[in-house]
Amino acid sequence: MSDNQKRILDLLTEKKISVDEAQRLLSLTEPEKDTEAKTPYETAEPKRKPRYFRVQVQPEAGSGKESVNVRIPMALIHAGMKLTYLIPGHASDDVNEALREKGINFDVRNFKEEDFEELVAALTDLEVDVKGGKEKVHIYVE
Amino acid sequence: MNCPPLLMRLGIYGQRRRLSLWLPLFLLWPLAAAVAIVLAPLVLLAALILWPIVWGKLMLLSGPLLFRCLCALRGLELNLNLGKRLLLISFK
Repeated sequence: MSDNQKRILDLLTEKKISVDEAQRLLSLTEPEKDTEAKTPYETAEPKRKPRYFRVQVQPEAGSGKESVNVRIPMALIHAGMKLTYLIPGHASDDVNEALREKGINFDVRNFKEEDFEELVAALTDLEVDVKGGKEKVHIYVE
Repeated sequence: MNCPPLLMRLGIYGQRRRLSLWLPLFLLWPLAAAVAIVLAPLVLLAALILWPIVWGKLMLLSGPLLFRCLCALRGLELNLNLGKRLLLISFK
């Protein structure tokens, strides 16, 4: 309760103002109450660091297709990223060439761990849902 | 860093047969550590010999990196429904 609201109630108890006047004055103080409310940023819970990367492929009911449910620890992805140091240079060239043939102009040697961190940070706010054909693909982090 | 997974669950569930195994990986780690200690001098020697070419450095790096991958396996879960069979692999 704000000071203004207390003052109005005091005036009412001292019978210096009527109930109607008190009500009207209290209604005028309400916008002030709103400004005291916390912003969404203040009320939002701090983000938790994602621990798992989830991929779910669900077929349509009755289609008889395979379903996949994979939970990959983020630590494993980080460790896998470190393993790229072991890839010889010519192997990276082969991978780049294969990607280029598929129309993807991307150099795997340029993909750094910081890029991956950014990608994961973006995924915490994003869930990818792909529904096409007879399957539904759901990618998210938890 | 996490400790390596202690158990591995392997499950194959078919229409007729059901197989569910809990493999005690924690029994393997002491053996693996003993083998690694025995092999360490040889690996070090091989790395020194191969140092002029890139393989020596890679050989030295690969041990810790693979161990890190092994530790990170904890929590990995694969659940495949292959129509008539259900395959489950998880590391605890």
